[in-house]
Amino acid sequence: MSFATRTWDGMSLRARLLAILIPVAIVAALVTVGAILLLGPPFLDFLGANMPLVRFVVAAVAILLLTVPTAFILIYLELKVIARMNLRVGPNRIGPWGAAMSVIHGLKVLSKEDFAPTGTDVTVFTLAPVVTYMASVMSLLVIPFAPGLFGQDFNIGLLFFFSMGGLTVVGLLMAGWSSFNKYSLLGGLRSAAQIISYEIPLTLSVVGVIILAGSMSMNRIVLAQSGSMLDWFVFKQPLAALIFFIAATAEANRTPFDMTEADSEIVAGFATEYSGMRFGFFFFAEYVNVFIVSALTATVFFGGWTAPFNWPWAYNLNWFHPLSFGILGWVLIVANVVLVGTVLFAIAARLLGGREWGLWDALGLGFLFLLVAVAGLVGTAGFIAFDWVAGIVWFMAKTYFFVITFVWMRATLPRVRVDQLMGFAWKWLLPASLLNLFVTAAAVILTTPGGAR
Amino acid sequence: MPAPQHPPRPQTARPAASAASPASAASPASKGARRTRRPAERQPSLDDPRIMLDRQISSDLYEPIPPYPTRTEREAEFYTLGDGEMFLNVGPHHPATHGVLRLVLKLSGEQIVDVDPVLGYLHRGVEKICENSDYYHVIDQVDPLEYLSSLFQEWPAVLSFEKLMDVEVPRRAEYIRVLSGELLRISSHILYMGFLALDLGGLTPILYGFIERDEIVEMLAALTGARMLFNYFRIGGVNGDLNHEFMSRLGDWMSRAGRQTEANAGLLNENEIFVRRMRGVGTLDRATALSYGVTGGNLRASGVPFDVRRAHPYSIYPELEFNIPTRDEGDSLARYLIRVDEIRESLKIIDQCLHNMPDGPVMAKLPRLLRPRPGRAWGAVEGPRGMLGVYAISDGSDQPFRFRIHDPSFVNLETVTTLLPGHLLADTMAVVASLDPVMGGIDK
Repeated sequence: MSFATRTWDGMSLRARLLAILIPVAIVAALVTVGAILLLGPPFLDFLGANMPLVRFVVAAVAILLLTVPTAFILIYLELKVIARMNLRVGPNRIGPWGAAMSVIHGLKVLSKEDFAPTGTDVTVFTLAPVVTYMASVMSLLVIPFAPGLFGQDFNIGLLFFFSMGGLTVVGLLMAGWSSFNKYSLLGGLRSAAQIISYEIPLTLSVVGVIILAGSMSMNRIVLAQSGSMLDWFVFKQPLAALIFFIAATAEANRTPFDMTEADSEIVAGFATEYSGMRFGFFFFAEYVNVFIVSALTATVFFGGWTAPFNWPWAYNLNWFHPLSFGILGWVLIVANVVLVGTVLFAIAARLLGGREWGLWDALGLGFLFLLVAVAGLVGTAGFIAFDWVAGIVWFMAKTYFFVITFVWMRATLPRVRVDQLMGFAWKWLLPASLLNLFVTAAAVILTTPGGAR
Repeated sequence: MPAPQHPPRPQTARPAASAASPASAASPASKGARRTRRPAERQPSLDDPRIMLDRQISSDLYEPIPPYPTRTEREAEFYTLGDGEMFLNVGPHHPATHGVLRLVLKLSGEQIVDVDPVLGYLHRGVEKICENSDYYHVIDQVDPLEYLSSLFQEWPAVLSFEKLMDVEVPRRAEYIRVLSGELLRISSHILYMGFLALDLGGLTPILYGFIERDEIVEMLAALTGARMLFNYFRIGGVNGDLNHEFMSRLGDWMSRAGRQTEANAGLLNENEIFVRRMRGVGTLDRATALSYGVTGGNLRASGVPFDVRRAHPYSIYPELEFNIPTRDEGDSLARYLIRVDEIRESLKIIDQCLHNMPDGPVMAKLPRLLRPRPGRAWGAVEGPRGMLGVYAISDGSDQPFRFRIHDPSFVNLETVTTLLPGHLLADTMAVVASLDPVMGGIDK
């Protein structure tokens, strides 16, 4: 209570903060309540009248917020998996098993100086990471994570995806040009040449899938693969899947096609002059790209969110009415579950851990175990009861399989040379994808009764 | 949060700046007024380094390389840009130049037109230092030159001094020299394989290589007391006999060394991308190699079976059985494969040393202060990178009158001017790494 009795100069720092924050909080609470009372009903009406808009804004914000933890997870995964493949330990200091390492990396780049070297074209230099990052985020918009859980379902979904993926190169080229550094320039030019070359086989390889699914909408493509594992397009279009995966590796600038930032040749390519959060945006965009490319591979060729076999997730839980307990009932249930569960798990922990753990340690551990157990139970129930929970699980399992494949490739393969890279795209991938397209089209025409429409 | 703005400083601190800004000089403002006014330092001052840099960059966008007028015909030819060409300064601080090598590349797109290696960033004047130290101290001066295989740098020095003084080295000491030297050759070649892969973008082989290298370094530390700069060879023998820890570590490692070498080599030999990056890149033909004076694995990869251990035998090498692997292609892949073969041969040599190791002393009896008769001697050994030689001249004092070091990396690196033009920028790293330069020896 020192802020009530002392003068401003006599207060400690904490007291000063409290003296400012408490009145501000009171005023803010009053204003909020007043605003809700006055403006709430018309605002809700407005939202209800524009449901698609609201849905889009919520989805876009959710996807934008999704990218950062995704990048964190992928960076940590890459550090750890490559370390294991190299017979190293990897990050193991910050957080459990070093899991907070990439978060600390993110905070580090945030706290660095925002810096543009002399000679750079500052406007372009600043905009380049933004363009790259936004292109990545916008391609995530059309990917269906689960039935009904997607940013936007365009009927030109795949086309939108590829156009947004092609926009990435603009950011890289801007970075390479504006950095006033020859290494950056070489990196930017390499990225332009590479991504433009690999766009063509990438796009052509999915045309066969589009013919089979009859639509470019991602949801339609996933639905066309629903059923069992044998309905996945990878079994109908194996060559296309291979071409797509190779070209997507180049599209995401991953080893062995990471020409644009070949660190042993052109130092870091387009990112040579970048530091701080501008570099952070490039770094995040790279990993978001890996996630997107994996997600697209899973969606187009591996059935997206559909289960690999007829998984019995559609149980009917209609007997369960959450509101039937009432608020008091819920409070009682939760309190009892927490108390009884904590004590039970604490007893188990005490029995397992022996006397090394004191009473409070055992109780804390018991509470943690309870949380894990409840999360597992709720997750399992959700997986069984709701198709979108099961969809997310299958989708993420497939996506992270490909993410780990990318990481594996990075740990294993050296980098190809520029001319070999371009030769491979134009001499092998492009003819192969054209052949695949021709064979698919011919097969569709021959097998469709009454010919092609 | 925006960074806090510094309050404007009083202009009297810098008389030159206040003279350049008449506004602040004309109106000596009060304290209160100065707080609100825009800082007077914003006005450009000519001694501000940022402004100097700005003016320099805007006047001539690309700083000329070199910053001095050209001195020779070759320099003038190299530093004249043709149509659509640009210079690229690779190094001295580049991730793939193995230390402080600087290559000025003249590029046309990504294709290398010409190359100018710039050396001397690690020059310490070791030859002169050696000429000012007595014969015993020379050995620890030459140690850091070939820092990946420093025993091979000590060896020619002690060899030439022994010739100057007619010292008979005990046979057990010769065996220990060969044994430790061949171990170090393997360690150096393993690092070579790893760094070659790293320069081509492969992350893993270097870490697998370091496991083997660390085992070798640990056993040599048990033998010599140091991990990298051993200071182990002495004039007339070696410093210290074999010990139990060294022998047990060596036996342990030898039981898996051959298998592990094959596994590590298999990571690269059977990798299609690696082979395609290396085959036909930087082809050094036999005549060019001989005219430059290239030695070691780089020369044997071009089809010349020259090895100092056989051509000018020293130590106990005439008694040992081993092959001199050669290849005819002369490209980077051949240079790499020669190294892999040499690891296998070195393992054979180590086996023979262990089987035939005689008993006896490891040091000859020598006086405390060495004063050889006036004369000159040349000692040369086959190091991992080629022929390491020392030409020592004695004037009868306790210090060498002249101590000339021949370093193979220097000669090998010279060939990049003929190997690189016509290749792509990415091949620079493949070629330089396959030549295996060590900048400590090159810059001396």
